[in-house]
Amino acid sequence: MRRQLAARLGQSLIVVVLVATISFFVIRLAPGDPFSFAGENIPFSVRDHWRHVFGFDKPLLEQFGRYVLAVFRGDFGYSFSRKGDVSSVIADALPRTILLVGLAVFLSFAIGIAAGVLQATRRGSWFDRVSTGVLVFFYSLPDFWAALMILFLFAHRWRLFPTAGIVDPVSYDYWPPWRQLVDRVAHLVLPLFAFTLVTVAAVARFQRAAMLEILPSDYVRTARAKGVPEQGVVWRHALRTALTPMVTLLGLMLPAYLGGAVFIEKVFDWPGLGSLAADAIQKRDYFLVTATVIVGSIVVVIGNLMADLLQMALDPRVRE
Amino acid sequence: MRPSLIFVAATTLLAACSAGDRAPKSTQDAGGTLVLALPEPQDLFPPLVNEAAGRLVTDQVFDRLAEIKPELATIGDKGFTPRLAKSWKWSADSLSIAFSIDPQARWHDGKPVLASDVRYTFRIITDSAVGSPVAPLVTNIDSVSVRDSLTAVVWFKKHTPAQFYDVAYQLVIIPEHVYGKIPPKELHTSPVTRMPVGSGRFRFVKWEPGVRLELVSDTANYRGRALLDRVILIATPEPNVRAVKVLSGDADFMESFPVNQLSQLDTSRVAGPVPYPNFGYVYMTMNRYDPKSPTSPHPIFNDIRVRRALAMSVDRSSMLQNVFGHNGRIAHGPFPMTVGYADSTLKLPSYDTVGAKSLLDSAGWHPAADGIRVKNGQRLKFTVVVPTASLPRGRYAVLLQGAFRHVGAQMEIQNLDDAPFYARAEKSTFDAIMDGYTTDPAPSGMKQRWGSEAIGFIPGKGVSGANSMRYSNPRVDAALDSATTTFDFARSKKYASRASQTIIDDVPAVFLYDMFVTHALSRRVTAPPLRTDAWWADLADWKIPADKRIDRDRIPLAQATP
Repeated sequence: MRRQLAARLGQSLIVVVLVATISFFVIRLAPGDPFSFAGENIPFSVRDHWRHVFGFDKPLLEQFGRYVLAVFRGDFGYSFSRKGDVSSVIADALPRTILLVGLAVFLSFAIGIAAGVLQATRRGSWFDRVSTGVLVFFYSLPDFWAALMILFLFAHRWRLFPTAGIVDPVSYDYWPPWRQLVDRVAHLVLPLFAFTLVTVAAVARFQRAAMLEILPSDYVRTARAKGVPEQGVVWRHALRTALTPMVTLLGLMLPAYLGGAVFIEKVFDWPGLGSLAADAIQKRDYFLVTATVIVGSIVVVIGNLMADLLQMALDPRVRE
Repeated sequence: MRPSLIFVAATTLLAACSAGDRAPKSTQDAGGTLVLALPEPQDLFPPLVNEAAGRLVTDQVFDRLAEIKPELATIGDKGFTPRLAKSWKWSADSLSIAFSIDPQARWHDGKPVLASDVRYTFRIITDSAVGSPVAPLVTNIDSVSVRDSLTAVVWFKKHTPAQFYDVAYQLVIIPEHVYGKIPPKELHTSPVTRMPVGSGRFRFVKWEPGVRLELVSDTANYRGRALLDRVILIATPEPNVRAVKVLSGDADFMESFPVNQLSQLDTSRVAGPVPYPNFGYVYMTMNRYDPKSPTSPHPIFNDIRVRRALAMSVDRSSMLQNVFGHNGRIAHGPFPMTVGYADSTLKLPSYDTVGAKSLLDSAGWHPAADGIRVKNGQRLKFTVVVPTASLPRGRYAVLLQGAFRHVGAQMEIQNLDDAPFYARAEKSTFDAIMDGYTTDPAPSGMKQRWGSEAIGFIPGKGVSGANSMRYSNPRVDAALDSATTTFDFARSKKYASRASQTIIDDVPAVFLYDMFVTHALSRRVTAPPLRTDAWWADLADWKIPADKRIDRDRIPLAQATP
């Protein structure tokens, strides 16, 4: 077990280093740099001067060497787009993304698992067919478009929720704590709803399939024969086993959740890691791009590691 | 006794008259919070600011020595009104101007504005370690000296029509006691430059990058407090989200409302359209040099007959109607019609597809079986690069593609994000480009884009000026030199027209439209006419009438004071 864990950690470290290295070179090889974005009216000589000041005129390998040394010193560089140290910019954004993605994962898995179980136990019924159709419909919507439509309908047309951001940009600082909490929750509703809506179907489909595989099992039949009520058979006996693949799914879906966060955060102006990364890529904010990729890959690796550990805890066969 | 009474009365009257529009305005009904949905500013340190959102903020927080009037006249000093300088005096040889700083002017930290701040501002702008984009615009200023604590003398290299404009428009005065402690090479990254301390009618409160930026009225300002209590800038990079915010009332203003959603704005009860012509114009440049071998002529566009034929194949009026409906402004040459030297009588290649085809025939380009012309085995095929950020330019590219196809030219469209787009523009690595330029109100702006001295990419030497297409014509240079050195506006305009007509005749580009955008403004906000070069110039005089205020307008100013 310990050896497995150590091996997994070693693999994870290699993955993070590889991803960081690739992102470092890819973003620098892409056309443009932080100063080509500076605007149409900036004389090129000024841009060249800035490139020189920040060392972007040095050979790529030299830049990489300097970057690696700086990272070892804990210096992730300077963000040109956010005008600050990359570490503090990330420190601001990361908790917001963890909150949004964490809640979205929780809600989509809670709703998806419940829906999947109900669909499996009512296989072929009108509920199964309709709910499957509805979920697949939402699943097939492009994230960006679905988020925009939700924003348009709920914020603009019906004005039920604030349009975007994490708090009211004007009044938040001047409200009492309870009102601030209400405001934070109100701002969370639409991005969370959009996020959950486009991800819940995948969970439900997996859960449905897992349950359909488990329900005909001998031990389930035995439980029924022993007189365990149907609810107990489904929710206590069958679901417990059918949850194991969901843990794997959670690990697999984490990158997709982080990818989805880019679109959702962008549309709802949620100042998290996703919108930060998108903005940094667009503005060729080299240091910020590499740092967001490193942090994103660490989050994914940790998520996968936790999923593996959870699976080991749930399934003795994996431990062995 | 009597003489002294007369003297007091006279000086009081004189002071009142000379104060003019500098007198604090009535602030009885001042109040309210204006929320702007805009892209995030890049910099808040005036010498480094190069984009609209940054200028918006710094123009509220900082002052210039004198402010240009709405007419934007750039010759001499008649078109300017006092700001930090309460008056100025020219030297006999016109090679220096002594600015008297208003003794009442204070920085927001309470310290007085001094002549040494003017000297420091110039020093920082011209310091090569700073790399200020303003530096190339003040090359005629030789130095700034301090005669006494409230008198700054600006010395010029030569007497030019725009020398006052160079000082007043380009130098945004910054406090030496705040920024002077920071080594110039560190100003780019210093956190101090993110918390500006200025002398304007708004003071800076805080900036949460990616979230919001807050300004409040400087109630003790020497020019009188702003008529709004606060201005909040919400960082909103996505234009569609900005539009939703304005239409839902969460924001009061956005610039450049999406062209494809204008009908929503027309019918909205929350916000209304504000048509806004500006100093920008858009054109499709045809590169006369081979993008793969920058010293060689372009295989297609080096021939003026091809460039002219393509220009003749474009029905610019129909395209304008197609993209902008009734809201467009057609381009009349290498200038927008908003500048004083604009001339709508110049002759652009007229729309004539038959003539265009004949011209291509005479240039040796003959149609192949598929209708695309061929010369010596080479097809008349090229690629245009288009910035994805501009919806109108994207639409124009599609319409141009159809027009060129009609005369036998095949144009591929390559849509690029800002960074790769500007990278291609900078290095001239394009066949054709949907280019745009926001110029200055003076003919010097034209020189910066079309003059030989401003040629951008020079193979083997890197890049320098803003003339990225490497257009060069000695006749244009001569006419622009004359336009920028004469003190007679009529003659300046005549020379500028001559330069423009020469450029048009050389057909380096197809001139398409003047940038004309529609801003969205909340119907509860009253704004004075927007200045063409900067819609935010009079933001301190925007008002939200008491009867139209909502909850966010009623937060007391005292609470918002940093």
